[in-house]
Amino acid sequence: MNGHSNLLNLILWMPMLGVLAILLIPKTKENWIRYTALFNTIITFALTIVLYMKFDPTVPGMQQYFNVFHPWISQFNINYSLGVDGISLPMIVLTSLLFSLCILCSWTISKSVKGYFALFLFLQSSVFGVFMSLDFFLFYVYWEVMLIPMFFLIGIWGGENREYAAVKFFLYTFFGSVLMLVGMVALYFVSADNPDIGTNTFDILAMSGGKFTDLSLRLFGMDISFSKFFFVMMFIGFAIKVPVFPFHTWLPHAHVQAPTAISVILAGVLLKMGTYGFLRIAFPIFPQASVHFADCIAWLGLINVVYGALCAMAQTDVKKLIAYSSVSHMGFVMLGLAAMTVQGMNGAVLQMFNHGTSTAMMFLLVGILYERSHHRWIVRPDGTKGFGGLYTQLPKYSIVFIIAMFASMGLPGLSGFISEALIFLGIYEKYTTITVLALFGLLIGAAYLLWMFKRMFFGEVIEECKSYTDMNAREIFYMSPLIVAVVVFGIYPTPILDVMKVSVGNLVSLLAKFN
Amino acid sequence: MAINYLASISRYVPELLSVVIMVGLVLIESCYDNSERKKGFFYAATFIGLLFVFINLCVSLTEAPSAIFTNSMVIDPFSTLVKIIMVLGTMAAIYLSKESKDIYGSLKSEFAIMTIGVMIGGMILASANNLLMVYIGIETLSILSYALASFKKNEERSSEAGLKYSLYGGISSGVMLFGMSHIFGMLGSIQFPEIMAGLYELSTFETAVLIPSFIMFFAGIGYKIACVPFHMWAPDVYEGSPLPVTAFFSIVPKVAGMAVLLRVTMVFFGQEGALQVSWVGILSVVAALTMTVGNVSAIGQRSVKRMLAFSSISHAGMMMMGVVVVSEIGTRSILFYSITYLFMTLVAFFITSFVADKYGNDHFERFSGLIKRYPMMTIMMSIVMFSLAGMPPLSGFVAKFNILSALLSEKYYILALIAVLNSVVSLYYYMKIIRLMVFREVESMEPIVGFGALNQSIIMTMTVPVVMIGIFWSGIMHLTEGASIFLGK
Repeated sequence: MNGHSNLLNLILWMPMLGVLAILLIPKTKENWIRYTALFNTIITFALTIVLYMKFDPTVPGMQQYFNVFHPWISQFNINYSLGVDGISLPMIVLTSLLFSLCILCSWTISKSVKGYFALFLFLQSSVFGVFMSLDFFLFYVYWEVMLIPMFFLIGIWGGENREYAAVKFFLYTFFGSVLMLVGMVALYFVSADNPDIGTNTFDILAMSGGKFTDLSLRLFGMDISFSKFFFVMMFIGFAIKVPVFPFHTWLPHAHVQAPTAISVILAGVLLKMGTYGFLRIAFPIFPQASVHFADCIAWLGLINVVYGALCAMAQTDVKKLIAYSSVSHMGFVMLGLAAMTVQGMNGAVLQMFNHGTSTAMMFLLVGILYERSHHRWIVRPDGTKGFGGLYTQLPKYSIVFIIAMFASMGLPGLSGFISEALIFLGIYEKYTTITVLALFGLLIGAAYLLWMFKRMFFGEVIEECKSYTDMNAREIFYMSPLIVAVVVFGIYPTPILDVMKVSVGNLVSLLAKFN
Repeated sequence: MAINYLASISRYVPELLSVVIMVGLVLIESCYDNSERKKGFFYAATFIGLLFVFINLCVSLTEAPSAIFTNSMVIDPFSTLVKIIMVLGTMAAIYLSKESKDIYGSLKSEFAIMTIGVMIGGMILASANNLLMVYIGIETLSILSYALASFKKNEERSSEAGLKYSLYGGISSGVMLFGMSHIFGMLGSIQFPEIMAGLYELSTFETAVLIPSFIMFFAGIGYKIACVPFHMWAPDVYEGSPLPVTAFFSIVPKVAGMAVLLRVTMVFFGQEGALQVSWVGILSVVAALTMTVGNVSAIGQRSVKRMLAFSSISHAGMMMMGVVVVSEIGTRSILFYSITYLFMTLVAFFITSFVADKYGNDHFERFSGLIKRYPMMTIMMSIVMFSLAGMPPLSGFVAKFNILSALLSEKYYILALIAVLNSVVSLYYYMKIIRLMVFREVESMEPIVGFGALNQSIIMTMTVPVVMIGIFWSGIMHLTEGASIFLGK
């Protein structure tokens, strides 16, 4: 089972090495700590690029070459098993890219620098763990471990109401994941009865393929389909992370209170863990139930798109607006998943990547503005303007903002367009009504972004804004990779589509069997 | 016959040794006058003695089960492992009492003597193989516990705790004794194996008559592990008793009660039938209630000690879930849980005790900003709090995972859901301490005397298993597996 390459191990543990290094540096040497963290994330990013180069897009499923396998707990047949396929690879690259940029963005953090960067790298390692695990138990461990650094990062370095936001985020996610835990252990015990598997196992790949379709379980004297029951459990677990309406209420709080870099990671990477969970676990293990609930997922996706956009429109806090726009954009991913067609799924995975880059840009830009203004009101609670005429005051900033905004809006030529177009292509035939309504959501999306832009960037320069300085070299430096990504993948998405094509095709054909 | 007794005594060394230590400590206490030298000698004797008991137990851990003293007790790997947990808990509690200000003067040595007595009671319970031994064990455990609860004679709350405890205890052991005599009346024996054999020859009617007497029997045990509806005494007793006593109460009597409950369940109700169904039905309702009531009550507490006390009730409920499945996996998971629970609870109580000693109370606010003053202790406390809530990769998660797997192996889906949702509730109040310690501003920078280098390193040493068992738990699994295979056979 072990592959030839230890690359995944290396990528997974590199940030932990960074944590160790940072812990050894004395507290007062703050710049050493920052450079160590930066250096560490850049090495990790380089390693993921090597992974991308060595990745063979023609191989279906997990790439045997990269597999890592060590027995862990023999009594429960739990293994330390890592792998990568076309769905996880884009996520791994996105993770390493965003984390290295976020280190640069957190350069100005001055409150206990050591703790911040150590927790930050710890978070990176656990996120990698989620995207690489092939063992359900291992997946669950990383899925939960990730909460601990997030809790402290929001709770210590966050805004005014950080404590509430951190606790809500933690409890909400924990609630979802314990439901998943029950499903996971239940699967372990039924897997032995399955002739195709034969032993109790947590191996995600062995459990995949709709092997639990005919099982039923007795609950309060009723026979319920095993796969449907536990699909719903896992759905809630993953949906909270995405977040799917009505489980989204933690997100605005967490985003508004979190420091910029953490917002970026939260929107750019952590939300994708939810949809990744669908793609890796919920859909392959319960394909029949997934098909059964596809309508439900599609409607929830639609609600996300429209409701998220409407909520965003009502916001007067820029960061909250962007947070709700994430809800809306993740709705598109859900629509793509519900389509269960090749285009739709490809679009969904591509949208996961593209939303990662575009929303990261938006949050970074809001962070840059916040460092100058120390508030984020488009319109203050007392009705006066919070910003005005930024366009004349900050020309460089405005240009980057326009790119980010258009990418997020889905303007042709920028990355958001292609993924959303693919999703619509994939879903149109199956859910025509939903497609039309979702297009309406897209329109609202354009409306709130442009309206926000108008209010903040045009008009008279208000007194306060006159003192703002334009983006400095560091800020331009960490924005540029994202600008490149948004523009390049908007014109030429093939590098991403190519790697995921085969893996996504596999999943779609599995689901098609139950359609 | 004499040879038989000699053989029995050779397997009975840990208990005898404990008695010797206890008596020896009484002698030391009364012979020496009150001086520093006596204190050193006293504690040296205590710890070295208990260490010998511990080593003796560890050595005999793998020995095959054997019944001693004409079948009245049974020494098997299960009981030995339970005793190991109790000895460790007692040692830690005695150390805590030595350092604590909540117990002062001559009470310190009395505490050591009495806890060893309670431990002996627990050991008898863990090995009990007939109804009489169960009763003797419970009484030995209880009578000394009453004294421990009312330790601070001058304080109202402590006396109240002792009185409450003894009233409840007296009534419940009376009820239990009534149940036992009924069982004896029906089956004509007090020996477990004979009762077991007799149980399955009863007619349906006789079985129906017998069920209430088993419930009465259960009342006695349930009271010791403080499960709902026999838990009403627990909060007040835990609150009124000095902190080291509370720490001790939430470990040793609980584990002992759990052991006897497990043995009774495995021996009497191991075979499927009407008896098992009704027993398991009662247990599962009680377990679910215990967990939920414990957790919900813990939310609103102001005192950390009280919060920990309520949380220990909910942990007892969690462990009872493992009894419900009546299988080796269940036994294994409870033993695993007890081991991890021991370390987590000890660390939590140690830290709380030192903080409480400084301020004279243990309200949550006393923990504010602890990270600025004692970052290492804050990290340790956070680790155990997360672990108690069941966050991976800590041992508390693995323990819960084990219980969950026991439940789901027998397809108790609803109980499993109740169990995990409870851990979400528990996370809320455990997080409260972490929030205060890490996110809030510090109240004062005065040093906390208890956090000396030695105590800090002891706390850290006890946290090591909390983390390590969470990651490398194959070894502990092996240990608990070995200890659970003989039970009920």
